[in-house]
Amino acid sequence: MPEVQQLGRTATAPFGASAKLSMVVLALLIVGSLALAPLVLDSYMVNILIRAFFVAIAAVTVDIVWGYCGTLTFGQSAFFGIGVYALAIVFTEFGFGSWQAVVAIAAAVVAAAAVAALTGWLSFYPGSTPLYASIVSLVVPIVLVQIIYSGGTFTGSSSGLVGFESFDLEFENWFRLAGLSLAVVTAVALIVLRSDTGRLLKALRDNDERCTYLGINTSRYRIVVLVVTGIVASLAGFGYAAVGGVAAPENASFTFGTRLIIMVALGGRGTIIGAVVGALCIEVASAYLSGSLPYVWELIIGIALIAVILAFPDGLVGVIRRLTRGVQQIPRGAATRLLPTMAAAAADNASQVAIEVRELGKHFGSLSVLDGVRFTAHRAELLSLVGPNGAGKTTLIRCLSDGRERSTGFVAIAGHAIDRLPPDRIVQFGLGRKFQAASVFETLTVAECLRVARTHRVRPSLTAASVDLELPPAAISVVERSGLADRLGEEARNLSHGLKQALELAMVLSLEPEVLLLDEPTAGLTRAERQAFADILTALASRDRLCIVLVEHDLDFVREISSRIIVLHQGKIALDGSVDEVVNSALVREIYTGQSKVCETAP
Amino acid sequence: MLTVALDAVTTAALLFIISSGLLIVFGVMKIINFAHAAFVTVGAYAALVGARLGLPWVLVLPLAFIAGAACGGLTEITIVRRLYQRPLDAILATWGLGTVIGQIITLIFGREVQFVQAPFTGTIDLLGVDYSAYRIAMIAAAVIVALVFAGLLNGTRLGLSTRAVIMNEMLAQGLGVDSARVRLLTFAIGSGLAALSGALITPLSSVDPNMGLPWLIGAFMLVMVSGGSLLTLAVSCLVLGGLQVIVSTFINPILGGLTIAICAAIVLRIRPEGFARA
Repeated sequence: MPEVQQLGRTATAPFGASAKLSMVVLALLIVGSLALAPLVLDSYMVNILIRAFFVAIAAVTVDIVWGYCGTLTFGQSAFFGIGVYALAIVFTEFGFGSWQAVVAIAAAVVAAAAVAALTGWLSFYPGSTPLYASIVSLVVPIVLVQIIYSGGTFTGSSSGLVGFESFDLEFENWFRLAGLSLAVVTAVALIVLRSDTGRLLKALRDNDERCTYLGINTSRYRIVVLVVTGIVASLAGFGYAAVGGVAAPENASFTFGTRLIIMVALGGRGTIIGAVVGALCIEVASAYLSGSLPYVWELIIGIALIAVILAFPDGLVGVIRRLTRGVQQIPRGAATRLLPTMAAAAADNASQVAIEVRELGKHFGSLSVLDGVRFTAHRAELLSLVGPNGAGKTTLIRCLSDGRERSTGFVAIAGHAIDRLPPDRIVQFGLGRKFQAASVFETLTVAECLRVARTHRVRPSLTAASVDLELPPAAISVVERSGLADRLGEEARNLSHGLKQALELAMVLSLEPEVLLLDEPTAGLTRAERQAFADILTALASRDRLCIVLVEHDLDFVREISSRIIVLHQGKIALDGSVDEVVNSALVREIYTGQSKVCETAP
Repeated sequence: MLTVALDAVTTAALLFIISSGLLIVFGVMKIINFAHAAFVTVGAYAALVGARLGLPWVLVLPLAFIAGAACGGLTEITIVRRLYQRPLDAILATWGLGTVIGQIITLIFGREVQFVQAPFTGTIDLLGVDYSAYRIAMIAAAVIVALVFAGLLNGTRLGLSTRAVIMNEMLAQGLGVDSARVRLLTFAIGSGLAALSGALITPLSSVDPNMGLPWLIGAFMLVMVSGGSLLTLAVSCLVLGGLQVIVSTFINPILGGLTIAICAAIVLRIRPEGFARA
């Protein structure tokens, strides 16, 4: 459906007039076909489609968690099952009635939310891996099914629950209700995922670490997504059981969870529409085929899954899109307007301590990578860390930006002790860290990357994709000087290495940091790019009064821009002084030129 | 009491045999092979066919290994090789392959449960307890698998290349190690081991097209908890397998079946490196 596609992409901000019109037409079309379809289709097909609609809602939640947030989840079936059993158990125990229905819905929502929160807490914590989250999502439905098995008559054990009285609705109306629910869930999902919040979720998928270092509590976002999608899947299960009048352990099983993933993979992950298409196709086809050709049908599904993953990772919808649109991409976010934020109150005091490090150590068993490191750095200082490979420079940067890294010692950033805090909290003290290899969000546009970097200041909208983007002047100047300003609508993965480095710097500066940590920012840059970088850095230190800590190998570059140099050697601070003192010292000459023992080694 | 202890040790041995193949694949390729369960089933059916043909056990076991290794090699070349950059997709594709293999087996052999006679039956008197001789033999089998494994890794050129690839693939390639070949052989050996374990467990469990599946999750969790080394895998099997037996015996079998999965998830939450030393 190209109209739907266009809508989210070009008509950014609150929907434009033409987009609004096409949306109304589309909505009328859906409502109309849902109203008429049951009169045309035979009753078997209507019956199948009702269930397929509910399953498709669950598939949409899988697509949100997997396709958008990047967590391969086998566990959405568990939430679906919770909805199924909430209805079945309440109606079996207390009979059918209006208060029972309310209780059942409440139980479905609360139980799903609780299980999702627990699952999320287990799956997502600072430093967790996508693989681990997948494992947990595997365990959840398995545990749930075992609980159902051991529940005796309460859960119906392996034979499930049947024969309870349920809502008395004609199949035609069930069809309309289920179809409308699916349409609403799909529409809401599409709107949210194309809003600023949706971009943020894609950023989590693309690069969780970068998000953390932009001050975003990624675990919390992931848990919230899991809870919301868990509730929706549970309600889908509730509807499924209400129509069927049956609750079976299979509804909660890991096998059903995998089936949901297959639907999304075949339809096209990360598209929502793909999940709906995949779910409807598979549900309908299996209703017709699994009876006559049970094993062959499973075989076909398996082969199709392998083929799609190998050849068409973006699924059916992706293939159709490529065929209809060719290679040309509609630029996104080209209309973004950059606006400078109000300049922050000028830094009060130049001598303010920005970094304080005392007796910092990092040990692996008996091996010390850093030992007894102690220094302070002030605002407006441009401090270079030099030293041979393996001296512990990058480790020191890590220890400054992640409270869990160091083994011993004390670190304070802008006056706040970092304790054992994760990076996203330390970033909120005023720290910005740029990684050695350019770390951006590959599938987001330049403008979207910058917007994600502003998440800590501007709460992302849930419904709209904004046009205006407020950035601090320092970030705007990087964007303009590097030439990124002309490419705001381009995906970051298409940028050159130098532009990616500039983009990452602009993203970090969007945090309005007081302390900026840079790990070999000029590695792999051309001469001109390097000079531009030097100018930007000196301006940041002198004009914006940032405290900049720079890891660098190129002594000439360091000499040109630094106000102070620290030499790390074998995990200890060997020298700490002005540029002249350090560059002319015997130790540095020894390390960098290999001339040993010409003079006395430095203290 | 002694019976419980023996149950614990023999269960750990079975788990070790089944998960060792998964471990080596995970160690080298950093991907989880969800078709492992299907390869276990392949091995079991190879044993079934072998037993029906009247082959002696000394021939049945290599037959199973070769069947599994052949399937594994083919899988690596056709599917897994293309997905090294997408580990989560590799999980899905191997899951799909598992379904395909399971359905092919069903089409050939039917879905009914079948049984294979153990090569030797009867019990051994151990400190006054009569215990199944075959289960005791599994301990020996696990030890042999571990020794052969350690021997291969530490004593052969392939083992050296493999360890190099595990530690630093880029560097190994730079030093002239053909890492594609190492990956192919590793995957084949891992799959062969899966099939071998399938053949070994047939006398203890029945044979059916989905028999491998219940073992997969346990094996998968054990590999995750072990953090990648053979020694820690043995420790994980003993600790979690033992726990499983204790919970099944004294509390309830359903909870017992969940012990490994739940404990492993919690261990990993608290200590992401699992039982591996930091």
